[in-house]
Formats: sequence, structure tokens, C-alpha cells
Amino acid sequence: MTIQQLIFIALAILVIGSALFVVTTSNLFRGALMLIVAFFGIAGFYVLLDNGLFAVAQVMIYIGAISILIIFSVMLTRGMQAMIPRNAQAGSVAIAAGLLFLILLLAFGPFRLVVDLSGVPVLATLFRTESPRVLGGLPWSFANREVPETYIADFGRALVDLNQFLLPFLLVAFLVDAVLAGAIYIARQRKPAEVIAEREAIAKEEAEEIAALQPQAASPALPQSAVASTAEH
Amino acid sequence: MDAITNLLKIISDFVAELIRSVLGFSPLLAELVVMGLAAVVLITFAALSFMGLTYVERKVVARIQDRLGPNQAGPFGLLQPLADGIKMFTKEDTTPATADRWVYNLAPLVIAVFALATYAVIPFAPGVVGTNLNVGVFYVLAIGSGSIVAILMAGWGSNNKYALLGAFRTVAQLIGYEVPMLLNVLTVVLVTGSMSLIDIINHQTLAEGNPGIPHILMLPLPALVFLISGIAETARSPFDLLEAESEIVAGFHTEYSGMKFALFFLGEYVNALAVAFIFSTLFLGGYAGPILPPYVWILLKAALVFFVFMWLRGTLPRVRIDQMHALNWKFLVPMSTVNLVLVMLVLKLFPTSEAAAQTFGGILVTPWVQALILLAVNLAVLFVSLALAARAARRFRQAEEEMIMRRRSANLATARA
Repeated sequence: MTIQQLIFIALAILVIGSALFVVTTSNLFRGALMLIVAFFGIAGFYVLLDNGLFAVAQVMIYIGAISILIIFSVMLTRGMQAMIPRNAQAGSVAIAAGLLFLILLLAFGPFRLVVDLSGVPVLATLFRTESPRVLGGLPWSFANREVPETYIADFGRALVDLNQFLLPFLLVAFLVDAVLAGAIYIARQRKPAEVIAEREAIAKEEAEEIAALQPQAASPALPQSAVASTAEH
Repeated sequence: MDAITNLLKIISDFVAELIRSVLGFSPLLAELVVMGLAAVVLITFAALSFMGLTYVERKVVARIQDRLGPNQAGPFGLLQPLADGIKMFTKEDTTPATADRWVYNLAPLVIAVFALATYAVIPFAPGVVGTNLNVGVFYVLAIGSGSIVAILMAGWGSNNKYALLGAFRTVAQLIGYEVPMLLNVLTVVLVTGSMSLIDIINHQTLAEGNPGIPHILMLPLPALVFLISGIAETARSPFDLLEAESEIVAGFHTEYSGMKFALFFLGEYVNALAVAFIFSTLFLGGYAGPILPPYVWILLKAALVFFVFMWLRGTLPRVRIDQMHALNWKFLVPMSTVNLVLVMLVLKLFPTSEAAAQTFGGILVTPWVQALILLAVNLAVLFVSLALAARAARRFRQAEEEMIMRRRSANLATARA
């Protein structure tokens, strides 16, 4: 067993253990913190794959931004401490996740599974296979290949190459721009008159709602005309 | 001369040889042991510099404010950090009854770990660097965001309103100031063409075909903004809103006592020193310099930057929270973005290498001319944005004065009636 394999096993235990903690704990805040540990483990996998850029990007984006966002939303949730989490779908979700994992394991995992797809009308054309098709045990096209020295520059060029990822890159840039514009619109400084008008509109709406609810909820004995007249006052 | 220049390298080679020959370790194991020892030395250096820096800072700030500073413990108060350390150790270690015990106790450790992790990529001399990552700059920024998590842990784990308020402020401040920091580090990366800190130093070192201009001379605006956002990122005065004692007691470390508090303190100073080291690496040429050995140069440069930190701390009042965010989002970020785009244009329009000139066109210039153009563009952006900011501030003041006058006349009218 090489050192790499040992590190891989340690990282895998770390990631799986913390991920299990995240989904089983009843303390949301601690769950969010353990999620950070899991993200760190993933960053470790990138380091193991000789890809420092993605490891650092993982730390920057997932720990520096996404986890903080999660922690913040947990903190701002009212009554979070007294909550008793109960998920009615837990069992079915577990079964679905297990099945999906099994399918992925059979399709891409180390086991070679022989399936005859030639007789199945749609699948045979979809997978373009000669019968019988072998599922799993796929040759991983990048296995045992050295990471090129210039991988960061290659990655950068791929993002601006028309034949590679220019379109998705531009779409993401457009999305980020739209989000920024939206954030500025929400956080903009408003004139006092605008705020007052908005508050009045909300108050009016609420008053109408209350007026609409009152006959059924509060006093069913009261005649309709009396309620209307009190609302007017 | 050579022995002094490569002192650290020679020592580490000697220790490695010693371990290999005396203890009979295999070369791989010996290297691992040496790396571990180097990490211990680095951490000890950071912790000791924390002790020294607290003393120096108190003295310098005291001098700026026309006081004497610590002068009782030992000659010139030199033993003050030691006395403080002993005091910290003997203090009671308290945990609030309603605290989230695990989170509360882990937070100081996490903050210290993240603070020390930055030192793994700082180059102290040629060949004396924890690891020469090809994404070194990016690593520094990413690790910096880890301390946000630790502060959130402390704020939440304490189960104290002031601590939580401090933590909320921290997130807004640290995440906000990460943006200008990143934008300005990016300009340095563009000029250098590499994210490795060693390459960035080599770009500023005098060598064949390289004029060796420190980046601060060609990119003064990124240097300035990096300094400001660096102070904000390490939450030092005037940006120490997360522990503003007049507003929120002591912010996220309100509940901490004894050594746990000292660890927060250590994290703060070690982070600030790391920012000083990174600043001297990115903009002042790192360990490059004439006559003196490289490790002396980087220490001198970092000390200079840290002195600027202390100077600002001693002279500037704490900013208000809205001023802080306005400065970041309305001034630093737009200015840095414009500057970044202009630097990109300059680098493409005035390339220094013939290959680039042939592929993309543009006018082939020498590095000196390119540096001059960059400097001119930087200064132009800086002065235009300062003028715009001054105009906006003037208008704001006028509007405010008008409002006050109107209110005053309205009050007079009601008083008369």
C-alpha cells in the first residue's frame, strides 16, 4: 500500500464520517460545521490528484462562501435550537439514494456486469452498443496520466476557447451580472416618500385581509353590514 | 558571504544529514522529519513574533499618543509580554453554562490553525519556503476566508448577544473586503503571469532581461487598496468594528478568558504579520534586495509594513459600520475593477515579449516603458476616483445641510404658531 492510498483512505473516512454526521445530527449549526470538514476532505482529494487550483478553489468557494451562507441562514432561523427535526421522507430518501449509488457503482464502478441491451429497442440505439454490453469496469481515460505542468493556463484557455467552454463561461458571467444587479436593486437607498408609500400599501392590504377574515373567524354572529362599518371607521 | 546568504538552507541540510547518518533513517523519512521540524520552527517563529509584536505595538502606539507604554516589567518593560503570558496561563478558563461546548472550545484552535496555515507558502529566502504552490496567492486568499468560519463558531458557540453581533459584523466585513483584495492581487498576477509567490518575487528581482522594479512602483493603486483591505481583513484598527468595545463589549470573544482569549489574540497578530509578509512579497519584492541576506530583507520589509499598521492604529479613529461598507462597495471595488480592466488593456496593447506582440498585435516596448505606462494609468485612476468621491461627498454634505436648515425653519414656524 502506497502513502497515497493511505491518505486516500484517511480522507475518505473523514469525508464519509462528517457527511454522515451532517445528515444525522439534530443540531443544524454543528451539521453546517461538519459540512465544512467534509468540504475540506474533498479539497484533500484534489490535492491527491495533483490539482492544487481546484483544491484551493474548493476551499475558497465552498468553505469561504457557501458554508458561510449556510451557517448564516441557520443562525437567522428562528427557534433553531428548540427544533426537533423529523423527516417523514427519511426512509424513502435513503432507499432512493442507495439505489442511485448502486446504479452508479454498477455503471462506473470496478465490477464488470454483462447486460444484453441489443434486444431492448430504445436503449440499444441510445447507448450505441454491440451486444452484449458490459457495464462497469470502464477504462478511466485519465488514469495513470500525469497532470500537465501548464494545467492552470490550459484551464484558463479552455474557458475562452470558442470550441470548448466559452458559451457556458459567458452564460455564468451573465448570470453573475444579473445577480449583482438584483442585489444592488434590493439594497439600494430609497427615498423616504417611497418607503412610506410602500408601508401604507402593506398596511392597507393587511387591513383588507383582516376585514375579509373577520366575519368567519372572529364573530360569525355579527351581521355583515356591522363589520363593514367598523372597518370603515 | 555565501554561507550567510544560504544560512537557513545550510542548517536544514545539516539537520537532514544528521538525522540520516546518526539515526539511520531512510532519505524519505529524514525529509519528512525535517519538514516537520521546519513546520515547528515556523510556528514557533510566528508565536514568538506575536509576543514581540504585542510589546512593540504597545510601545509604538504609546509614543504616537504621547505616552510611555509598558515600562515596569524589566528594562524598558521588555518582560511585559512574558508577564502577560503568565497572567493568561493563571487566569480561570471559563465556559458559559449555555454555550455550545464543542463549538465554543474549538473556535480559538481553528482561528490559530488558519492563521498559521498562511505561513506555509511565504518565501523567506531562495529555497526557504514551506511549499512553492503554483497557486500560492490563491491559497493565501482561500485560507484567509477560513478564519471567518472560526469567528462565526466563536460568536455562535458563546451564546451571547454581543458575541453574535460581533460575528455578524465580521462576516459582512471580511467577505466584503475579500473582493477588493482579490481584484488587486489579480492585477499583480496579471503583470507577473503567475500565481506562485516565488515567481512574483523573481519578477521583481534584478536579473538578466528583467529590470527588477518592485510592483509598488508600477502598481501603486493595487498596493494601496491591498493595504487597506488587508487591515480590514485582519480586523485591525480603524476597522476593528467586530470588537468595538464601546458598542458590542468585545464582539465575538466576549466570553473567552485565559489562554483561549490569548489564542484569538495570537490569531489576530499572526494574521496581521502574514498580511505584512504577503504585502512585502507582492509589492515590495519579497526577499530580493542588495547586500543584506534575503531573510533579513523580507523581515525588514514586513517590519516596515507592520509599522504602517501600528501607525494607522495609533492615529485613526474607528470608522462607522456604514462608512466602512460604503468605502468598500462604493469606492474600493469600482476603482479596483476599472483599474484591473485598464491594466489588462495596457498589458495587451504594450507587450514586452515579441511572441505576444506577434500573436495579439500591439506596440512592443521595454519593461521600463510598460512599467511607466502602468504607473500613469494607476495614478490616473486613483486621482479620478478620488476627485469623484470628493464631489459625491460634497454633494452629500450639501444635501444634509439643506435638510438641517429646512428642519430648523420648520421648527421655527411651528414655534411661532
